[in-house]
Amino acid sequence: MTIHLENAINRTATRKGGSAVRTLKGFAPLLPFTMVFSFFFVWPIFQIFKNSITGADGKYGLGAYRLLFTKAYLHAFQGSLRLSFFSAITAGLIGALIAFYVHRSSSSMRSIISMASGVLANAGGVPLAFMFIAAFGAQGGIILLLKKIGIDLYGHGFTIFSFSGLVIVYSFFQIPLMILVFTPALDGVRKEWNEASESLGATKTQYLRWVLIPVLFPAYLASTLLLFSSAFSAFATARALIGGNVSLVPLVIGSLIDGNIAVGAEANLGDALAVGMVVISAIVMVFYGLSLRWARKR
Amino acid sequence: MKRLFSSGFKYLVLAIALIFFVLPVVSALEFSLRKTGGHGHALTNYSWIFQQEDFSLNLMISLKLAALTAAITLLTVVPAVAYLHIEGQRYKRLFEFLAILPLVVPVVSLAIGAQKAMPEFIQNSQYELAFFYVVISIPYTFQSLNVGLSSIPLKTLVEASRSLGASFRKTITMVILPAIRSAVNAALFLAITLSFGEFTLTSLLHWETFPVWITRVSQGNILGSIALSMFSLIGAWLLLIIVQSAQTFKSRSKSQPKEAAV
Repeated sequence: MTIHLENAINRTATRKGGSAVRTLKGFAPLLPFTMVFSFFFVWPIFQIFKNSITGADGKYGLGAYRLLFTKAYLHAFQGSLRLSFFSAITAGLIGALIAFYVHRSSSSMRSIISMASGVLANAGGVPLAFMFIAAFGAQGGIILLLKKIGIDLYGHGFTIFSFSGLVIVYSFFQIPLMILVFTPALDGVRKEWNEASESLGATKTQYLRWVLIPVLFPAYLASTLLLFSSAFSAFATARALIGGNVSLVPLVIGSLIDGNIAVGAEANLGDALAVGMVVISAIVMVFYGLSLRWARKR
Repeated sequence: MKRLFSSGFKYLVLAIALIFFVLPVVSALEFSLRKTGGHGHALTNYSWIFQQEDFSLNLMISLKLAALTAAITLLTVVPAVAYLHIEGQRYKRLFEFLAILPLVVPVVSLAIGAQKAMPEFIQNSQYELAFFYVVISIPYTFQSLNVGLSSIPLKTLVEASRSLGASFRKTITMVILPAIRSAVNAALFLAITLSFGEFTLTSLLHWETFPVWITRVSQGNILGSIALSMFSLIGAWLLLIIVQSAQTFKSRSKSQPKEAAV
């Protein structure tokens, strides 16, 4: 009873404190988050947008963006998009297929595979690149093994330090990522649907074509888009593996930061490239959100 | 019931997957054990790691930054998510949206912004990295805490604690935090692994941490660098396996009494 009274008194006391103070006080637990987020995220991002439309003379202008549409930089965007597309499609298909089997396995098998996926999806960066150099390099164990049985990959022009090499390396963490994000969607598939379609006389192909694929497609699309965005912004693995062999936007930005080129219109080129990446990545994420919503409606 | 695909095909798929994931690891391990000169295997490359004088120095830097990242996450993200669930529901959607944004902005883009926007005194301190690690890990930490808080009877707990006269801070530290301890642990673990492996932003801001150092020393000794890579990959995997199995074990032992009651 007394506690309730005290609470009531406290409440009226704060109410008397004026609405501005009260709002501020109420906002207090959000303050540390908001401050860190604004200063270390919003502010730098605002700066790249601002710099990207500022010319070397300090006046506003689109000079940096005009450079973006020259051959070399368009080529880098093309390379990044192509790499993200191919690695997302390959890893997405293989990952979905494995997820399909994982889903139908025994529960102990499932937990082993989901744990392994969780661990492998976290592989990345420079160590991953070195691991693949050791395995698929000219002197790598797998390459030597294949040579012994008569397959000379390097003789056929394959090298891990290339576009297709990068797709293989990205698959190493993207397939597990696909398994992780796609398996929950499979859990929504009811056994009864298969039984119902069978009792209606549908063949396996018909069940696949008219039931399973339409039901799972939105979730599949969403998962693939997630893979796309993870490949699109990956930097460390690509840098360690291919250096300058393949032109990719993150690598170009990296070399611009390192080179500290600050002449003429190129001064803010890095910012314009960074904005370009943000825009593309944002578009992908919007589609990701839309397909997630679509998937939930199913 | 007819099977959609034959089980032979299933085992083929799983076998190929196993080969794809195990073979590179085994092959790289074999490579890392090769002796310089080409003949025989030994642990030379691994002992080379520990002979590097900067090994412990850089490991310490990364550990320190990881601890700082976890501390900042605890002080910023945890109170914010807790508040959004308890009193600030009107801001919840806004903050959920904000928390996804670091995933939308590629780290390379953040790096170039950070290099130009941060004042001198911050750019001169290596501790700036911890704040950026916090921001980069927000999509994961926020989500983990969000899920954790949705799974407890929050309203009842808060009302009980408030009616007993506890302040907001006391309610958070003494009631809510213990209730969502596993979600907080998971969030902190995510922040720590991310900060420990972060390379992109760190190297572009010209700081040296453990992963950046690995790349630098490896330029001189390819065998050593592969040993170092395998060391850090397998180390991280072991850590993840331990944490994951601890969580599975915990959730199993938690759910068992429930089943017994039923």
